[in-house]
Amino acid sequence: MASTFSGDETAPFFGFLGAAAALVFSCMGAAYGTAKSGVGVASMGVMRPELVMKSIVPVVMAGVLGIYGLIIAVIISTGINPKAKSYYLFDGYAHLSSGLACGLAGLSAGMAIGIVGDAGVRANAQIELLLGYLRITICLGLKDECILRIIIVFYPLN
Amino acid sequence: MAATLGDSSSWSTALVKISPYTFSAVGIAIAIGVSVLGAAWGIYITGSSLIGAAIKAPRITSKNLISETAPTREVLSTLSQRPHSFVQQKVPHIVIFCEAVAIYGVIVAIILQTKLESVPSSQIYEPETLRAGYAIFASGIIVGFANLVCGLCVGIIGSSCALSDAQNSSLFVKILVIEIFGSALGLFGVIVGIIMSAQATWPAKSV
Repeated sequence: MASTFSGDETAPFFGFLGAAAALVFSCMGAAYGTAKSGVGVASMGVMRPELVMKSIVPVVMAGVLGIYGLIIAVIISTGINPKAKSYYLFDGYAHLSSGLACGLAGLSAGMAIGIVGDAGVRANAQIELLLGYLRITICLGLKDECILRIIIVFYPLN
Repeated sequence: MAATLGDSSSWSTALVKISPYTFSAVGIAIAIGVSVLGAAWGIYITGSSLIGAAIKAPRITSKNLISETAPTREVLSTLSQRPHSFVQQKVPHIVIFCEAVAIYGVIVAIILQTKLESVPSSQIYEPETLRAGYAIFASGIIVGFANLVCGLCVGIIGSSCALSDAQNSSLFVKILVIEIFGSALGLFGVIVGIIMSAQATWPAKSV
């Protein structure tokens, strides 16, 4: 068994923790964004029920963050295979850092989407500023997607 | 045996001495414990708002409560004795999303504990056994904390759903759509947890 398993012993610990960090922190951001925008939508919907379905956009953007975390977590966890390819501490730390990068970016983007979405839907009920807050939330989602793509680019360096 | 990189790296020397069964057990406990914490947190956030709003609008309890369990049925029957409430046990909605989070935790904990295999004591600190222990630990953390935040999210949205439903009953279904997005987060945790638990391969016993 030792001959088929090459690499450092404790490196998978950091690799798996990287995958965990990617998903958990992205989900925290997605949850914050969904909850905060959802509360705004519900409050706004009491006065203007016809605008509720149009105001689902920040919720969708926040949900997408969870999907980014899922993708990175699956990519990392299927990449930890010391029998097929030797897995040194370098690889473990690289996976940890990419997972943390994706996760914490998702957390921050989710919190921002929540706050902007909450304020945006409430303001949208009073004045039709639909495009303004939509652009902000989409930019926040794209920022996280950029970070995701950077991570996917760095990944083959292992 | 693969050598750890240098004695100055204290993380490695500490981690190698901890049994993989410790990590596995803690992971399984976190998977179910923290998931149930999230579900409970969500249920009490929703429940307190729901019951408070139902004072003035008793009709909301019929759509929002789950209650197939006996204690809740008793509560509902005592409520229905009051003159002007229309409590009927119809389709449950909001609380079921929170309860699903706890069920995800139970399912993954059961799956993880079936992945445990016993290994002879000479092989406990082999690299492959250590990796299996780490995989179960990480899988448990993922499921636990993803379900925790999902339960919180669904609870907060459920409470605002109940409050807005009390004012305008056409809003219930619309806010429920938002809650479906929230409950997808728990599902992501379960998916990744199960994919990662497939990495928990223990070494074959060498006699």
